Amino acid sequence: MKGFVRRRLLWVGLLVAATISVVSVFPVWAGATTRTAYLTGWLLFGLMVLLTGYNWFKKIPYLPLGRSELWLQFHIYVGLFTGVLFLLHVGGRWPTGWFELVLTILYLIVMASGVLGIFISRGWPKRLTARGGEVPFERIPVIRRELRERAEALALSTVPEAKSATVAEFYLRRVHDFFGGPRNFLSHLFEIRLPFNALQSDFTDLKRFLNEREKQVADQLMALVRQKDGLDYQHALQLTLRLWLFIHIPITYSLMLWAIAHIVLVYGFSAGAR
Amino acid sequence: MDTVHFVIDKPQRWDSSFDPDMSEAAVTRLLGIRPFSEMDVTKFSKRTPLRGILKNDARIRRFKNGEIIVRAGDYGSSAFLVLSGHARVVLNPGLPASMLGRRKSQRKGLFEIVAQLWTNPRDPEVRTQAELEQDTGVKSRSGSQGAGVFLQDVPRILDEHKTATMSAGDFFGEIAALSRTSRTATIFAVGDATELLEIRWQGLRDLLRFDDHLRHHIDRIYRERTLATHLREIPIFKRLNDEQLKRVIAQTQFGTYGDYDWSGDYKRLAREGKHSPEKETIIAQEGDYPNGVVLIRSGFARLSQRFGHGHRTLNYLGAGCEFGLREIAHNWRQRTDAVPFQQTLRVIGYTHVIVVPTPVMEEVVLPTVPPEDLPALFTPGELAETEVSETTRKLDAGAKIGPELMEFLTENRYFNGTSSMVIDLERCTRCDDCVRACATTNEGNPRFLRHGQISGRIMVANSCMHCADPVCLIGCPTGAIHRGQIGGEVLVNQATCIGCSICSNNCPYEAIRMVEIREEDGAFMVDKDMKPIVKATKCDKCSDQIGGPACERSCPHGALKRMDMNNLDAFAKWLHR
Repeated sequence: MKGFVRRRLLWVGLLVAATISVVSVFPVWAGATTRTAYLTGWLLFGLMVLLTGYNWFKKIPYLPLGRSELWLQFHIYVGLFTGVLFLLHVGGRWPTGWFELVLTILYLIVMASGVLGIFISRGWPKRLTARGGEVPFERIPVIRRELRERAEALALSTVPEAKSATVAEFYLRRVHDFFGGPRNFLSHLFEIRLPFNALQSDFTDLKRFLNEREKQVADQLMALVRQKDGLDYQHALQLTLRLWLFIHIPITYSLMLWAIAHIVLVYGFSAGAR
Repeated sequence: MDTVHFVIDKPQRWDSSFDPDMSEAAVTRLLGIRPFSEMDVTKFSKRTPLRGILKNDARIRRFKNGEIIVRAGDYGSSAFLVLSGHARVVLNPGLPASMLGRRKSQRKGLFEIVAQLWTNPRDPEVRTQAELEQDTGVKSRSGSQGAGVFLQDVPRILDEHKTATMSAGDFFGEIAALSRTSRTATIFAVGDATELLEIRWQGLRDLLRFDDHLRHHIDRIYRERTLATHLREIPIFKRLNDEQLKRVIAQTQFGTYGDYDWSGDYKRLAREGKHSPEKETIIAQEGDYPNGVVLIRSGFARLSQRFGHGHRTLNYLGAGCEFGLREIAHNWRQRTDAVPFQQTLRVIGYTHVIVVPTPVMEEVVLPTVPPEDLPALFTPGELAETEVSETTRKLDAGAKIGPELMEFLTENRYFNGTSSMVIDLERCTRCDDCVRACATTNEGNPRFLRHGQISGRIMVANSCMHCADPVCLIGCPTGAIHRGQIGGEVLVNQATCIGCSICSNNCPYEAIRMVEIREEDGAFMVDKDMKPIVKATKCDKCSDQIGGPACERSCPHGALKRMDMNNLDAFAKWLHR
């Protein structure tokens, strides 16, 4: 059995065991005390603090606190386990008050963004690698500008050479904007090739009106379009691989603040923990 | 139609002299001194006359009292002849690292690690006074007179350490220069009138080729000092008694292939895309009679086998590996059914080998080896290429990691890395946590680029690989770049680095950067001519941190691994994890 499969089975086994334990113990708690929500609530809050700690762990890599890979596994499976605790805590009911509603929505956003994060972190690197044209994210604007300059020079070169502005006009009308910045963001995320195919088809149609020299230029221009399309693909996926954290982390901190307020309110409007 | 030709002069052997200021008068003086006065000039070729060698491949150097000539552990490409004055060899145990212009390897304490939270400077490449102060006992010199490191208290060193004196006519440093191994002892000048002739590797090689006396002299030293120890470390020679070992040593041959400073050529060929395994020098060829066991002493060699119309790389062999033993052992046992070499051994860059001839193996060595310790016989199926033996399977690293990846590692010479940064692109989310971790751990300065050559899903990032054969160490004038004492990492001592860029230019993997350093207030440090102070920087594998390399520890997806590329089994296991 391969290492990754073995590790996944181990963590899933632990998650299932923890879920069965908590779910089977919960009715016993519920029978013994009327304040089970305090127990699940504090457990949930404690685990959320630990999960938030992963973000701090990443900021201090020189502390000998173990490997980030192990922490991430812990983060993922404990995060999933909080879902079980959350359901037990709210008793499977949709909240009715606005405060609890906001708290629930914040929790669901954090959970959903986390699950989305796992999904894309596991699947999209393969897509990036299979597509090729590996490029550091920070270099993308520089390369894009270089491609645009080359494309513009190429399109303009046909005017004096072929004494015709057909390619230059086509460039202005159809291609100029494509090189202007990142394009077809959603299409790249969902592997939809329609915009690129449409542009390619326009290039094919254009060739009917070109002489040999212009056709050569059109082919070179299309090669640059392909490169730019690959660059956009890298940009769209790499950006999303970074952006999801910009939802997950700030909402996590909002959730923590809301949860602290929730605890204060619970204790403020009750006779205290029993 | 006219064509335009760019006419350039064909590069010549002595386009670049070791010392452009070497005068004819100095050469004439050298020709009157032993051993050159005893050499037969008629034996030298017209293209490389003795006078030319001394003029272009040698230089006269004067050392002051206490100045270190060679340091134990350094890699040097030249040998020395004492012309006048004296030099002292420090015998075992040698001088401490701090006295040799190196920093003592030490890990940070837990408090120092935690303190990085608030002590990391805001500006890049800041150096503190403490970092730039050399440990006591040594000081460095740079400038027009050349760079050097001085021992501060020579009388005390002479009192406290065992030393041997070298005087006019003594040769030293030739073994390390020829076999590309590290210097085994530190030698320093005594008195201010020590004058040495330094001969670079190429000149020494030509002197040995044309002068029997010097060749026999160095050959004898090599056999006496090095070969016996080396052979004793190889299992097949372990059972030899002293008499048998002497016989083996007496008949062993040496060979040096390739270019000592291969990195420059390699970088040029790689840039031009002209590198081809077919152009590599062949040490032993598939199908030839096995005339000896080849033992690799230093450098690397490519093990390949015919495949279609080309050659398929099976593995690369480094120091300590052997070639041809199985064939010779087979032929010794099956005299009627002799087999030729089954693979080809080619030089990659630079390779120094020892060849134990077949007759010696058959008469002296093989009879001492128990049958169960001998390599397996070739089976008829194996020779007909219809089956693959377990021995070949073990050797065929390409079968474990894939032939394309094998070629990629060999072509780019990544086998040199003992701690290469390998990234699995199918797991890497390009989050750059590794780069951030590296920067945070190194006071805000990332020591690698998450970018590099790619083969399939594997990227080898531009980071110091802490090479088995560290070309960057060759030629460092102050010994600032050196191997650490704890894990053998290649480190740069910021105190003695003079910013000459030799290491950076030598590194074939472009893993060393030259940076302008700053003071703690963020201002650039400058010398008295107001020129910025430059230092070499590179990955030090977080050698001062308790937890090990931050890049590897910080990867959340287990996509980044520091790998010893000589352990292809571990690499294969990681690939198929």
